Amino acid sequence: MGINRRSFLKVLGGGVVGGGLVGVASGSIVTPGKFKAEATVPPKEFLGILVDTAKCVGCRSCEAACAEANHLPVPDIADDSAFKKERQPTVTQLMVINRYQTDQGEVFVKKQCMHCNQPGCVAACLVKAMEKRKEGPVTWEKNCMGCRYCMPSCPFDIPKFEYHSANPKIMKCTMCWDKLEKGEKPACVENCPENALIFGPRKQLIEEANRRIYQKPGEYLTHIYGEHEVGGTGFLYISKVPFEKIGFRTDLGTIAYPEYSKGFLYSVPIVLLLWPAFLIGINTLTKREEDARRKGGEKR
Amino acid sequence: MKEIAAAGEIKNLKDFWAFIRSELKPKGKLLTPFNVISLPIILVGVVLIVYRLVKGLGAVTNLSQDFPWGIWIGFDVMVGVAFAGGAYILTFVVYILRNEKYHPVIRATVLNGFLAYVFYAGAILLDLGRWWNIVNPVLGNKFGVNSVLFLVSWHFLLYMISLFIEFSPAVAEWLGFRRIRKIVGSLTVGAVIFGIALSTLHQSGLGALFLMAKDKIHPLWYTEFIPVLFFTSSIFAGLSMVIFEGTISHKVFGNQLTHEDHASFNKIMLGLGKACAGAMFVYFFMKILILIHGKQWGLLASPMGYWYLAEILGFVLLPCFMFLRGVRYENFSIIRIAAILSMLGIIINRLNISVIAYKWYVPLSQRYIPSWMEIVITLTILLIEVWVFRWIVNRMPVLRKSPEWALEEETHEKATPLRKEAPQWKASAM
Amino acid sequence: MEGFSYVDIFATKHIEYLLVIGFLLLFIPFWRLLNRPARAVFEAAERIVPAISEWFRLPEKVYYHPGHSWAVQEGNQLVKVGMNDFAQKLVGKIQAIQMPALGSTIRQGDKGWTLKVDSKAIDMLSPVDGKIIDINEELIRSPQNINKDPYDSWLMKVEAPRFSVNKRQLLQGTLAKKWMEEVRENLLSRMNYNLGLVYQDGGLLVDGMARNLDREKWDEIVKDYFLITEG
Repeated sequence: MGINRRSFLKVLGGGVVGGGLVGVASGSIVTPGKFKAEATVPPKEFLGILVDTAKCVGCRSCEAACAEANHLPVPDIADDSAFKKERQPTVTQLMVINRYQTDQGEVFVKKQCMHCNQPGCVAACLVKAMEKRKEGPVTWEKNCMGCRYCMPSCPFDIPKFEYHSANPKIMKCTMCWDKLEKGEKPACVENCPENALIFGPRKQLIEEANRRIYQKPGEYLTHIYGEHEVGGTGFLYISKVPFEKIGFRTDLGTIAYPEYSKGFLYSVPIVLLLWPAFLIGINTLTKREEDARRKGGEKR
Repeated sequence: MKEIAAAGEIKNLKDFWAFIRSELKPKGKLLTPFNVISLPIILVGVVLIVYRLVKGLGAVTNLSQDFPWGIWIGFDVMVGVAFAGGAYILTFVVYILRNEKYHPVIRATVLNGFLAYVFYAGAILLDLGRWWNIVNPVLGNKFGVNSVLFLVSWHFLLYMISLFIEFSPAVAEWLGFRRIRKIVGSLTVGAVIFGIALSTLHQSGLGALFLMAKDKIHPLWYTEFIPVLFFTSSIFAGLSMVIFEGTISHKVFGNQLTHEDHASFNKIMLGLGKACAGAMFVYFFMKILILIHGKQWGLLASPMGYWYLAEILGFVLLPCFMFLRGVRYENFSIIRIAAILSMLGIIINRLNISVIAYKWYVPLSQRYIPSWMEIVITLTILLIEVWVFRWIVNRMPVLRKSPEWALEEETHEKATPLRKEAPQWKASAM
Repeated sequence: MEGFSYVDIFATKHIEYLLVIGFLLLFIPFWRLLNRPARAVFEAAERIVPAISEWFRLPEKVYYHPGHSWAVQEGNQLVKVGMNDFAQKLVGKIQAIQMPALGSTIRQGDKGWTLKVDSKAIDMLSPVDGKIIDINEELIRSPQNINKDPYDSWLMKVEAPRFSVNKRQLLQGTLAKKWMEEVRENLLSRMNYNLGLVYQDGGLLVDGMARNLDREKWDEIVKDYFLITEG
């Protein structure tokens, strides 16, 4: 038993250390952006965009600007027929404006990646192709495997996959991250003639949103969509009509999506510790029994 | 060219190649009904696979932005892996609990498991949009350790290696490599223990993939306990597959088996049937517990609710009681039908979570329905797997007995450790 | 988010606990039911398995030891001993027999001789006390004869002065029949009424019944019947 006990303890010890390391690693990766930001740069807020749906007139200049900035075909923004159906972003159009008829008149809503604080797509990506940058945007990289796990994991169904291509990409709004790195503003914000899009650190955006809400009490709903939904998003919306009437899901909860897989992921090192320990133990016990039996049979 | 009849005659590289060459020749009739039907499908499938690689996923599949995962994930991977669950359970029973009753089927089960994982990894490769990056989770410096899929992919890789180690004694016996046979034989228990831990995690992990699709899967199927349900159902899925595949193998490869093997297989079926009945009983109760915990009983009175009831009553509870009856009355036909029903239930369950109850609110016209090309490619992968299985079973000691020298090794191995240990235990054991 | 939004996250806990208790109460009988063969199978076994006289030969004038050896009186104080039909069917083909030396003493209930079956050694208990005065050399040369006719193949001839006393511990006639029936019942229940040991016409698979019951631990089963205790 000398040898077996030793190897048993070795495995157990190794498992504890290994499991601890994995546990620490997995715990720290769940909040990628924040962690990175705190470690490498002085504490900052994620940058975001406030969308004031009451101010949007549906001119779609943002659609054209976005297409140009991303080298995609520019849509015909004068063509009104685009508003006939509720649209989704596509592989060639990273953001869309939708028109909703409400009892307060027409409301136009900009739809694109929400750049969540704790994105489900980032937690899903096994090669870190989806990354939450320290500035705030969630971007896609070419080391992607095309597994499309980010797609079922996004509460807003945003990532779009180029099925038609043999070298497919995942297309979604990047909040013009490459422009942000150069100190510029996202293309949509720069081109909005109505000041419906405000760009800045998230805290300031929330302050601005509250200012607009409480300056004219009773006009805006006292809810900033994206402040707490799915743990908070980079895009924030204020509106004068209920959000479910203008194409928003209001049943998503306030728990960040990566939290849903956290329980399972945390159990992994525990299983890798306990199972081998138990199995080695049972194996030793049954071996003892078998040897005893064999010994008895061979005696005479 | 020297004719190498038995592997034991290999003395040098020339002999080795002669042996391999002789083994590559087909054994048995070429124009069987199975071959005649499967070969054209395989050929068409291979053409389609090339087409898919050249033209992209959209040219061959009906996947869409709303339904990114189709039958290659929902069926090939998820159902295939569940059915391969027999390997981790039976290796536990035979090598850890040392129950010799199931020894006759262990090699075929491990072989099936190994081939399943290899071929379903192939299916994944086809499903990946940027498949050339498949090495990224393994090599490189951008490991998404926060991803459940990262864990699943690593486990697939490691488990394939474990299963290969568990199966390698048969390969060593086929090639006549005695030293290697001894070495890999000693690695078996370690590989088994590792494999069981890995299996637990990736069987449940495949379910955990859907935890973030919380608002897309119908509440009757979405629960935080999906991983536990997947793990539990993999038990009876795997064992039902052993019953199914064992029955077919015993008919097809009957010439390799003795009368004793046939008799013992019946006993094995009874044992497997008992285990399936027990596991399905527990699983059924788990489903009810989760239904109550989630307060979903109101949803049962809806079309999806009826479908849910059909799944758990017709394909879980019913086969559970069929197993009960079959085992008690030693009616092997009932046991076999129950195995098929439970396998159908697993297929339905995995497809529900990935494709049917997934975005159930999307109208039928926009839903994902697999294209004929996807189905043909799926069949191709399955059929090639069956061909490889047949090739191996006809040549290596999987169903037939191991060569004499290997059997002697085994009994010698089991006997020797005793002498090393006896002195230490004298004082403490009794 | 308007309105009162208290959510009782443990609302269903009491039903869940009741469900779990219900599961345990149901699972145990379920599992026991699963492991008990059906009445029908039991009765079928009873029907197919004929009377013991057709399964295990039990000649009349023979005295049987509960460990399945037998003794027959040859003459004054001379006793022939051997092993009975059940014993040889249980172990199957006997490869070798080890018997004590001529002239040595054996005691009733102690080790009488050793069988070598399939590389395992099985002892059998002696039915009488006495001195060994003859050993069946032919049997040592061809032990398979025991399988052919266990009552014709005597193992040893023993001078047994206390045979009348020994007889009190042995079974004969109706008592022996009853005993054999119990043994048969015991065997049937070990088979778990699984008729894997019996052909359709009721003939018994005689390739060593113990081995058919348990390929690995058959020697333990045999030792059980032969009343050999570990030690």
